[in-house]
Amino acid sequence: MNEPKHRILVVDDAATVRLYHRKILGDAGWHTAEATNGIEALEQVHAQPDAQPFDLYVVDINMPRMDGYAFVRALRRLDGRHQAPVLMVSTEARSPDVGQAFEAGANAYLVKPARPEAMRLTAALLLGDRAVALQAAQRGQA
Amino acid sequence: MKANLLASPLVISDADFQKFAEYFHRKTGIHFDDSKRYFVDKRLVERIEASGAGSFRAWFAGLRFDAAGTELQRVVNTMTVNETYFFREAYQFDCLVNNLLDEVVACKPPGSRLRIWSIPSSTGEEPYSIAIYLLERWPGIDRYDVEILSSDIDTQVLQAAQRGVYSQRSVAQLPQAYLRKYFTQTGADEFRISPDLVSAVDFSRVNLSEAADTRRFRDIDVIFCRNLLIYFDDVSRRVAAEALYDTLNPGGFICLGHSESMSRMSSLFTVRRFRDAMVYQKPLDA
Amino acid sequence: MGLKKNAEGAGLHEVAVREYPRDLPGLLAQLADDDVAVRRWAARDLGEHPSAAPAVCARLVEEPDASVRAVLFSTAARLGGTAVVQGMIGLLRSEEPALRNGAIEVMAGLPTLVAPCIDALLQDADDDVRIFTVNLLGDLRHPQVPQWLKQVLWTEPQVNVVGAALEVLAEVGGADTLPALQAVRARFADDPYIGFSADLVAERIETA
Repeated sequence: MNEPKHRILVVDDAATVRLYHRKILGDAGWHTAEATNGIEALEQVHAQPDAQPFDLYVVDINMPRMDGYAFVRALRRLDGRHQAPVLMVSTEARSPDVGQAFEAGANAYLVKPARPEAMRLTAALLLGDRAVALQAAQRGQA
Repeated sequence: MKANLLASPLVISDADFQKFAEYFHRKTGIHFDDSKRYFVDKRLVERIEASGAGSFRAWFAGLRFDAAGTELQRVVNTMTVNETYFFREAYQFDCLVNNLLDEVVACKPPGSRLRIWSIPSSTGEEPYSIAIYLLERWPGIDRYDVEILSSDIDTQVLQAAQRGVYSQRSVAQLPQAYLRKYFTQTGADEFRISPDLVSAVDFSRVNLSEAADTRRFRDIDVIFCRNLLIYFDDVSRRVAAEALYDTLNPGGFICLGHSESMSRMSSLFTVRRFRDAMVYQKPLDA
Repeated sequence: MGLKKNAEGAGLHEVAVREYPRDLPGLLAQLADDDVAVRRWAARDLGEHPSAAPAVCARLVEEPDASVRAVLFSTAARLGGTAVVQGMIGLLRSEEPALRNGAIEVMAGLPTLVAPCIDALLQDADDDVRIFTVNLLGDLRHPQVPQWLKQVLWTEPQVNVVGAALEVLAEVGGADTLPALQAVRARFADDPYIGFSADLVAERIETA
């Protein structure tokens, strides 16, 4: 009963944040890749083999060249095979920013710094990974 | 006895390597993992010695803080292999004839003129490779006129391109049939390209940072700008990318070198993935 | 059909924008033209006119087209000067990430002019402005950068500003950063990200 692991793309211009998020998500048994801004993220999306699209995007808002909102808008214009839930993670918690995220096509929003269990729980819910969701819910301060 | 006879050789620690690799990746998009340790460490030691910095720490501080930023450009130079030859990174030429040109002509009537620009064209291997690909591998060549424009900042390499004489090493990737068809062997290590191809390509001297030079170019359908922009400083790189954007038709394409990415250069272009290659496109509604 | 040359430039569409006046008043007027290409060419050519800096910065706030904005930022970077720095500082408060990051990129290229403004920016009442200032330090080629960052570790109350500073210190921190690192671990003992980040900085610092 070996299911293929979920694949998550972590998009953030800060190397430490990418490492941190990849560790949190990797500890749940998921496969992760990374990009430093929206353009590189689109390149990663396109580079995925058809049989292995991403199952979740964890996206920072504030990035140079192409910010998180622009990336999500561009992502939502792509073919169905690239579509997956988007978890926006940002330092900004003002309601216009959250609104803009959902308008762009995001599905969930966490404020930085994200607590590991909260991120795992939210990601698990978006991925439909019941096992991890239960574990995170029981452990964590979501 | 000189003290430096007893000095220990420079060793790049894991932390040094990580620090450098992260910085380099941030600036260029090029990723060095542990498998590249030998390659990177060797060149770091060379740079540290050449700069007279004395230690990785001092050298990295210069790299990071020196206002002119010239050490970064030297490092990019040494970390990237830059050699030109026929059919180099040919997957992009495959993409050209399999996808890009078909998309370009979809909006144009038969008999239309297409314009392909190779910049930097260096000693000519790239524009002539494009010419051979068009003649041999693009059926549309019978229905459309194609101009190949070929530019470089260096007049000497332009002259060499117009002489059209190449070494065995330069033609090594060509299928034998093309070599026989388009070249004459004129010496032990000398192959001269057909004068028909030389006369089919338009050569010009262009400095991508000079608006006066790039202004002359417009209605371009496909640009090959490979392994050049990565060597520019941040401001010059943006200016060059914006100039190239202006020369393109809406929907026109630009191909960069295989380790280059617009993610470190400019937000003007859209990413497009084809079977053979990933390229960048000026939006159709631009 | 086939490969052709075109010495006379036949068949190329006429670019009317080259007919417009290229003097300063003409260019400034074209910054507001309806045609995107006209605005973009004007934005580029204003790079020859240092006194255009305030107009270039002002246009950035209103300009809707990304390609024109990109050229406006490039022109601002080429012009430099204190008017540009002031204009860019203003953009740090924008709601639009693209404007803020464009401003940071321009300022990163003007270290001598930007340095006198850093202290005030690091004390700004707006958390976000302090974060973006630290992001700017990440690209700024100025010897005082490590010192500014250490100051943030000692005194900054907002966790994300501190996080941003640790990010940059992973690259530029030295042995003299270690005491501030210890202090920040204590100040933010409840935050796993700060602990993670501080550990990474310590790892990158050579303590030989």
